[in-house]
Amino acid sequence: MTAVLTILKVAVVLALGYALTTKAIPWCYVKVARALGFRVQITPITAKRIARFKRIKRGHFAFVGVSTLFVVSLFLELLVSGQAVVVHFDGKTAFPAVADWSNKVAFFMNIPSFQRKNDFGQVGESRVDYRRFARWADDPATLEADLEQQRVKAQTLRTEAEAEAPDPDAGAFTRRKYELRMKRVAAAELEVETLTHTLDVFSRGDAWIIMPLYPYGPGDLRLDLSKNPPNAPSAAEQIPLGTDMSGRDIVPLMLYGFRLSLAFALLVAASGYGVGVIVGGLQGYYGGWVDIGSQRFVEIWGSIPFLFTMMILASLVTPTFGMLVLLLVLLRSWLGITYYVRGEFYREKSKDYVQAAIGAGVSDWKIIVKHILPNSIVPIVTFAPFGIVGYIGALVSLDYLGFGLPPGTPSWGALLRQGLENVRFYPHLVIVPTVALAVTLYAVVMIGEAVREAFDPKVFSRLR
Amino acid sequence: MHGMTSYFIRRLLLVPVTFICITLLVYTVIRLAPGGPIEQAKQQMRAAAASEGGAGGSSAMGDTGTLELPQEAIDQLKAYYKLDKPIVVGYLIWLGAWPDEAKGGKFSGIIQLDFGKSYRYSDSVLTTIASKFPISIYFGLIGYFATWLVCVPLGIQKALRHRSMFDTGTSLVVFIGYSIPDFVAALLLMLLFATPMLGPQFELFPLGGFRSENWDDMWAKGETWWCIRDQIHHTFIPVVAYIMGGFATMTILMKNSLLDNLGADYVRTAFAKGLGERRVVFIHALRNSMIPLCVGIGHAIGLIFAGSFLIEKTCNIQGMGLLGFNSLIGRDYPVIMGVLVFGVLIRLFGNIFSDMILAVVDPRVRFR
Repeated sequence: MTAVLTILKVAVVLALGYALTTKAIPWCYVKVARALGFRVQITPITAKRIARFKRIKRGHFAFVGVSTLFVVSLFLELLVSGQAVVVHFDGKTAFPAVADWSNKVAFFMNIPSFQRKNDFGQVGESRVDYRRFARWADDPATLEADLEQQRVKAQTLRTEAEAEAPDPDAGAFTRRKYELRMKRVAAAELEVETLTHTLDVFSRGDAWIIMPLYPYGPGDLRLDLSKNPPNAPSAAEQIPLGTDMSGRDIVPLMLYGFRLSLAFALLVAASGYGVGVIVGGLQGYYGGWVDIGSQRFVEIWGSIPFLFTMMILASLVTPTFGMLVLLLVLLRSWLGITYYVRGEFYREKSKDYVQAAIGAGVSDWKIIVKHILPNSIVPIVTFAPFGIVGYIGALVSLDYLGFGLPPGTPSWGALLRQGLENVRFYPHLVIVPTVALAVTLYAVVMIGEAVREAFDPKVFSRLR
Repeated sequence: MHGMTSYFIRRLLLVPVTFICITLLVYTVIRLAPGGPIEQAKQQMRAAAASEGGAGGSSAMGDTGTLELPQEAIDQLKAYYKLDKPIVVGYLIWLGAWPDEAKGGKFSGIIQLDFGKSYRYSDSVLTTIASKFPISIYFGLIGYFATWLVCVPLGIQKALRHRSMFDTGTSLVVFIGYSIPDFVAALLLMLLFATPMLGPQFELFPLGGFRSENWDDMWAKGETWWCIRDQIHHTFIPVVAYIMGGFATMTILMKNSLLDNLGADYVRTAFAKGLGERRVVFIHALRNSMIPLCVGIGHAIGLIFAGSFLIEKTCNIQGMGLLGFNSLIGRDYPVIMGVLVFGVLIRLFGNIFSDMILAVVDPRVRFR
């Protein structure tokens, strides 16, 4: 029953994500662009290409799938997390997971969140265990059992401590020890009191909670398991993909890793192609010494052994996400596209429409951006998916070698490294990230094939 | 031909410029970055003092002066690592274009083939690299030839049966191959065929390494067959991983290139003259469609000779890639720079070599 309910919930989330990706986001994009004064219209040739792309079923399906999953993954903090989405206790309501999400994605919002126990009417500064709270809300009997257990514990602590009460003339050390012991007893008794209060609030019906779909975040350790980590996947203990070597659940690691990898690759591709198009365009448009000089520079820059240099830099300073994006853009991603854009610009510049524009006195900038660029967009679009495959691979490789993102980041490469170290005993550490990586990259390759076919169709005819 | 010669001479003249640019860049980065040899020495000193202090009681901890290196030792270290000189001078000494006072004012650097000594092992960097080099070449060459053996026939068949069931089916395999990085493939193969996961009968290959540990003994005993078997066992998984690395690109390149040529006019002419299909495809079209593949040889040289970090790390092959990796972990700068020098040089000459191959196999190409 719960499994069916979970599948239903996942389906609803995916459907919402699909609607957001295919309907809401394009609609907002057009509205915003129009509001900013851009003319948004699809030229006939682009419409033809899009129609051709949609006709290639596998590629179109992969495109819709990957982009929906990526858009959904932007809301992961609300879906896969150890924090409650909504929690209500004793007349107060808070949104911890939403606050967590807004800290990362929508940092401009200020959302109330219970983080510490005393926000809860409980005592202490430590973080609230929302999973325990959810269990109580599910079944108040567990709360009563917890309360009873705590009461017994406090009682035994007190009797044990009082049995060993020191004489008044005992040494300072013994007395100090006794004081500390009594403090622990007091803490246990305070816990009994707060639990009683909690039970009171629960029985009034003034406490409820909505947990995310999967109640563990990427940094949360699975402390509820019977064995030491790493744990193999097990349905009985509710670890569908097992845990890693430090005891983190692998489900959130994979999902957050997906978002991280794809965001990384998209950022690197977008900024790299931006730089590459500018450089290649200037080379092709101006030609002459600009071209020769910068071409030599591109050649020299391209001869840098990329992976080794990245590793040297990462061994000196542990890179952050932004630094890694910047390094990959600087060292690699802008280079390849310059050759193609340069060639396209050379070709387009010699055509009549550009010569006419030059003759009419249109400024260089306007010719480059408005006239030539839309006509030389084919290589950029067709290369992007394969670039993304390469950049995801580069991030995974660096993390795998231990020269990537800082330890603790949810990354596929780091998990693969753990898999290499445990290949004999914990195969799930290899299989899970490999499948995630292969499926993602395969989908992106399918998109790439379809895009290439749609934008740059090659008709092979065998003549005989 | 005259124009071509001068083109290649110009390309060769650009090699030292490129080489100096790249190595100077990396040298500068290493010099400027924190955690250099001096800091390492200080840290070692501190660690040693802390462990001594821990053994002798906590009273020594108050005297922090004993935890620091004496100034003269720091100066000595600085002189040894050329940190007392400006970056450019240090670089030129390393290059061998500036007299090294520490060696009696001699020129001693890369140009004189003096790569310095490893910090960690007191071997010379050149001997270390020379001992790792053959291992990388062994795997790289076999892997590269195996890639050709798999991809060329497959590509030809795919082109000849374009849009058939065979073509669609193998395309699926090709795309899956493209979406699994080579080192992940190696890891997966090790899991499947080097561990008893699928059952003991599938534990066919060893978990990495170049040879078994007792290989030299067995060889000395004359157990040639055992040795050959052992070597093949250790070679299999890395070589399959190398094939996976180049598989998709090369197969598709072969297929598309042959398809292009099959649609060309000269093929139509050949058919029109009444030549047989085998002759047209394999003698006329195939020769021309091998050109793009031949150009790849030069670029592949880098991979063959420098090894792949990822495959060597995964399969625990003690080649150049793993040497570079371990030197980075141990911050062994002379070795890092040595590996870099080899990597850059091989790459630069490989690129020129590619152009030369292109000029030889395709007489239509004219470099200016």
